[in-house]
Amino acid sequence: MSETASAAVPAPSSLPWGHWWRQVRAVLRLELRKGFRRSWGLYLLALSPLFILLLRTIIPDAVRDPGDVSGATEFYAGVYQAFILRIVIFLACVAIFGNLIRRETLDRSLHYYFLSPLRRELLVAAKYLTGLLVSFVLFGATTVIAFFLAYLPHESTAVQQFMLHGSGFGHLASYLLVTFLACVGYGAVFLFFGFFFKSPALPALAVFGWEGIHFLLPPLLKKASVIHYLQSLCPVPVSEGPLALLADAPSPWVAIPGLLLLAVLLVAISAWKIRGMEISYEES
Amino acid sequence: MIAGATAESSAAPGAAGADRRVVFENVSKFYGDVLGINRVNLSIPPGITGLVGPNGSGKTTLMNLMVGLIRPSRGRISVLGMSPDDAERLFRRVGYASQYDAFPPGLTGYQFIESYLRVHGFAVKEAETLAWKALERAGLVDAAGRKVAGYSKGMRQRVRLAQAIAHQPSVLVLDEPLNGLDPMARAEAIALFRELADGGLHVIVSSHILHEVDLISDQVVLINGGYVVAEGEIAEVRDEMEEQHPVQVLIRCDRPSLLASRVFEQDHVVEARILEDGRGLLVRTRDADRFHLVLNEIVLGSGLAVEAVAPADADVHAVYQYLIGSNGEKS
Repeated sequence: MSETASAAVPAPSSLPWGHWWRQVRAVLRLELRKGFRRSWGLYLLALSPLFILLLRTIIPDAVRDPGDVSGATEFYAGVYQAFILRIVIFLACVAIFGNLIRRETLDRSLHYYFLSPLRRELLVAAKYLTGLLVSFVLFGATTVIAFFLAYLPHESTAVQQFMLHGSGFGHLASYLLVTFLACVGYGAVFLFFGFFFKSPALPALAVFGWEGIHFLLPPLLKKASVIHYLQSLCPVPVSEGPLALLADAPSPWVAIPGLLLLAVLLVAISAWKIRGMEISYEES
Repeated sequence: MIAGATAESSAAPGAAGADRRVVFENVSKFYGDVLGINRVNLSIPPGITGLVGPNGSGKTTLMNLMVGLIRPSRGRISVLGMSPDDAERLFRRVGYASQYDAFPPGLTGYQFIESYLRVHGFAVKEAETLAWKALERAGLVDAAGRKVAGYSKGMRQRVRLAQAIAHQPSVLVLDEPLNGLDPMARAEAIALFRELADGGLHVIVSSHILHEVDLISDQVVLINGGYVVAEGEIAEVRDEMEEQHPVQVLIRCDRPSLLASRVFEQDHVVEARILEDGRGLLVRTRDADRFHLVLNEIVLGSGLAVEAVAPADADVHAVYQYLIGSNGEKS
């Protein structure tokens, strides 16, 4: 049998990138198969902004001037920044990324991965990619559908003009980029916390509070929040109220690489952390 | 060998030998202040090795250390010359069926095995073939399409076994693999272990059911309170205990009183008791080899009709009782 084994197992020469990529895809497929098919809470969360925008469509006189699409642009900017970005995507990232490892510790099935000839760093990367794929597909769709719903009560010619000849699709692309970067940034933060806290609830609450008071923070501290960079990339600025302390928004050349760098750093620390991890389900 | 006697020879196999063995060198594991195992020296050859000890004695700790699920607080472990930390190399050649009765949710038996074969890096077709082969060996082909969550305890045990052997490892580590199996499945599993061991595999099996271990093991490791108290072939271990625990030999013959009077003349015989039915003798001796020679001479000289000669306490059960001091069946 041992002789057969050496014939059946991929040869070491085929190890590096091709082999690792095959393993990453296998983890991704397995994670999708077992983890996200029945995540009703996530689906509900993804649908929640759509209800608000549908209400605006249904309620009579909610839109004062259907010919003026700038009202829709401002309305969507408010809903996106205050609700979709700060609450919906944030909570989804807590649920998805905070449980990538924890869920399997709780259901006592993590050891199956640890008993495979798979680098643990690769496991973390594959799980992070799974989370990213799920969160971006779900909340990217929410972003797009909500965007079009915002313009639904308006006159179609004005909307068409805005979309095709104005900045409509540019705005949508920017919002999608922000959604993606939010999943990247918050995802990495909660993956990281998943290794240092038994439950993601407490650190999530702390981060939520920190991000929530972002508008009150002095300029230097604003730089230590994810929302600061995400907001700067949104195409339509939204007023944060009279108490807000104003600070220069970082340029996209700082915000985008900054968020990506933060994610790489946090995923790398998580990968380092999992190398020393022991399976001790009793303690969890 | 009984621990403490010649542990050094056990712990220091040659470099070439170490590549074919599972070696523990002075390994200790502490969970905070709680002792898992302490100063364990082992060198496990191919074949079936039974890991025996009462609940909480450190069997699972030993197995988890072997596969790197936990790390030693002290000492060094090598599996066929590989470190348990080197998962990428190790798990191409090692399969482990743990005691954790848990599975990834939502998967069928087939999906469970095939998915992890894909994680191993096998191509789609290869993974499918190996998965079906493993399911066939574990007798689960008919249930392959059902969700694992709906399996009986015995089926879950078998699907874990199938998952552990699916990638055709050289070392198979099985934590209480016979728990929950019905007698037929037990017999099939034991036959499978034997078949794998005969093919040159290391099959390391933990159990607290002693007669099962006795039935299947080529060698045993007795562990108690985190310490290895004996290791080796059961007969060897028993021989080393002759001085403290004289070997019992049962002789079925036609004139037991004559035999008793003759064997009592030997200085190594400490007891000779005629059986209640009057058709045999139970002898306790400190030197089993000499006793068997003497017995031959007596039989030839006196014309005794001997029906059977058998060791009465040379099994793992007796060794366990002498070394650990409790009844293995109950522990």
